[in-house]
Amino acid sequence: MTVVPPREAPRATGRRRPSALASWALAAPFALLLLGTVLVPIGYALYLSLFTERLSGLGFDGPRDVFVWLENYATVLTDAAFHEGVGNVARYALIHVPLMLGGALLLALLLDAAMVRLRQVWLLSVFLPYAVPGVIGGLIWAYLYSPNIGPLNDLLPWDPLGSGGIMPSIVTIATWQWLGYNVIIFWTALRTVPRDVLEAARVDGAGPIRTALSIKVPAIRPTVFVALVFTVIGSLQLFTEPLVLRTFTGSVTSTWTPSLYVYESAFISNDYGRAAAASILLALACALLSALVMRLSARRSR
Amino acid sequence: MALHPGWSRRAFLRASAGTAALAGAAGALTGCSSGTTASGATRVQVWSWMTGMDQYVAAFNAAQREVHVDLSVIAAGLSGGYAQQTNAIKAHNAPDILHVEYQGLIQVLATGGLRDLTDDVADLGDGYSPAAWQGVRPGGRTWAVPMDLAPMAFYYRKDLFDEHGIDVPTTWEEFRDAAAAVREADPGARITTFPLNDGSFFAGMSWQAGDPWWRIEGDTWVVGVDGPGTMRTAEYWQDLIAADLVRGGPTGNQEWIASVHSGRLWGLLGAAWSVGTLKKSIPDDTGRWAVATMPTWDGEPANGIQGGTAFGVSRESRSPEAALTFLRWLSTDPEVPRIGASFTSPFPAYLPNRDVARTAVADDYFVGPPVYDVLDEAAARVPDWTWGPNALGLFSTITDTFGGVSTGRTTLPDAVRRVQSAAVSDMRDRGLSVREGSRA
Repeated sequence: MTVVPPREAPRATGRRRPSALASWALAAPFALLLLGTVLVPIGYALYLSLFTERLSGLGFDGPRDVFVWLENYATVLTDAAFHEGVGNVARYALIHVPLMLGGALLLALLLDAAMVRLRQVWLLSVFLPYAVPGVIGGLIWAYLYSPNIGPLNDLLPWDPLGSGGIMPSIVTIATWQWLGYNVIIFWTALRTVPRDVLEAARVDGAGPIRTALSIKVPAIRPTVFVALVFTVIGSLQLFTEPLVLRTFTGSVTSTWTPSLYVYESAFISNDYGRAAAASILLALACALLSALVMRLSARRSR
Repeated sequence: MALHPGWSRRAFLRASAGTAALAGAAGALTGCSSGTTASGATRVQVWSWMTGMDQYVAAFNAAQREVHVDLSVIAAGLSGGYAQQTNAIKAHNAPDILHVEYQGLIQVLATGGLRDLTDDVADLGDGYSPAAWQGVRPGGRTWAVPMDLAPMAFYYRKDLFDEHGIDVPTTWEEFRDAAAAVREADPGARITTFPLNDGSFFAGMSWQAGDPWWRIEGDTWVVGVDGPGTMRTAEYWQDLIAADLVRGGPTGNQEWIASVHSGRLWGLLGAAWSVGTLKKSIPDDTGRWAVATMPTWDGEPANGIQGGTAFGVSRESRSPEAALTFLRWLSTDPEVPRIGASFTSPFPAYLPNRDVARTAVADDYFVGPPVYDVLDEAAARVPDWTWGPNALGLFSTITDTFGGVSTGRTTLPDAVRRVQSAAVSDMRDRGLSVREGSRA
């Protein structure tokens, strides 16, 4: 504190205002972006969700907007197709989240345990799928699953595009895509675990497994929880993989997940009000779930 | 293509449509003030996903100076093109010209974004194939300018059919026997594919049965997806699928091409545009395929249609006259099928142009009767049909409900009944006046 005054003194007289302006100027790009790409769209979606387009007669005269209060929300919440989508996402998350976080944690621990040669090559190879755009990845897998031209269809004991096999197929694509990303995050966090603590553990006679479970994993718990939040939100928003597979199989309906439901409402049924209501509900669910996970993580790390 | 760039507007218009009636329309062209180029031409924007549209637009722009067309290529209809167009209509920044298939026309119309063209193109009506002209005139007013037509036909491997002594089926009863004969000749082969995920295919099949899914009665939509013709079609295909006589899965994708290529699919129930698909996907098969009109129900000649393009003018277009100048040219000028013949097999809705296409397209791929003869006959056999304001949504519902047929969770007739009730309740929810019922 004592260091500052000599420099500040000459400025203090007339320069206060410009510096306030400067801070506004510096914050403005972010504020504008936040306003333009987050707040305004959310507000518009809220507005849209309260209206519906009504046609009359044959519909040739075009629609008129009708204010319907919360009717769109009621429609979505009582729609069997929406329930089915929520059920699908829930089942997906129950398989995908533990599978991916567990797998990523295991891989990261193995890589960190220095039992692996060519660590950078391993890291790069698990990370590569993340570099493939989601749609391309989906198409690659769709061909692998396709009967007659893909090898997986013959190798697997079930039909990967059939009604029973579609869920594991989609989980596989998503896990393949995101596993490496999480491995990198976990591995980076593991690098920050103090080496002297690990050395002390070794001196105390802890083996690599004991060290991993009792020291490393607790040490990176906050990171794991952040990854958990991202994965849960990502699961709720499941969209690309089923959309791509939909052109290859009849097992994925147009409303298979809530995100697809939103897409179907807006761009196939042209029901923007229902689409807006469904997206608001989806956003609320995401916010609630992440708040829940964060609270859980706060309690755990206390 | 080598039109003189220095033509006057009047000479150009006369040459392009070849009718004196156009002189009147040309008079309406004066006074377009908005959106002009440096040289004074009126600018018109068109959104389309039609193959080769860039070549048509380039030829049009090179041929005259009054109208300049700007093309934006958008995603194909159900892959996002309609979404983009209806979004633009809702946001009041739609282009002057919209790409609408006959099947999507009424759904786009229900967004309120199309201009009534009844008086503008009344003079062209006589020139079109009746199915196309009716396709752009739901309820008696004209909402779009027809481009091409897509009557369905049966494409088959003549070499394999001949080799195994299988007759080309002319009725659906014979088709079932032929399907069994194909499987007997080669247990790994099937006569054709029934694409369970393609609502427009099933619509085309049902169209042949002469039972339109929608009808207009006064100010009310009469919805009859579960009419006797459609149910008969559904029962027939359910039987073939259950007996494993046809393949499931989509047509036109890599897997389908591989199956056709390796001789595991001997036929295709396709549309006029399938000519291009076959030529492009399996060029090695030149001289092996032939085409016939669809098998019929009880020998009663009838054909369905799968697809077909038209173009509408946006209600908010500030240069509708200029847009119509381009659309008249695109729809009726003999130059258009000549350009199209260089990269596809156009089947124009405008009858004089069909003869142009017939002579311009090299018909060396198929053996047997000339393709254009078969398609012409098919187009002339098409029964009346009206698309509804939820046709595109209905295709999506069909894909959803038919999905369980391949695994035996549901049957086609059951799925069709569910599609009917979903269609009716969806239309009611949107405030339309709806009554259930079919023709019979």
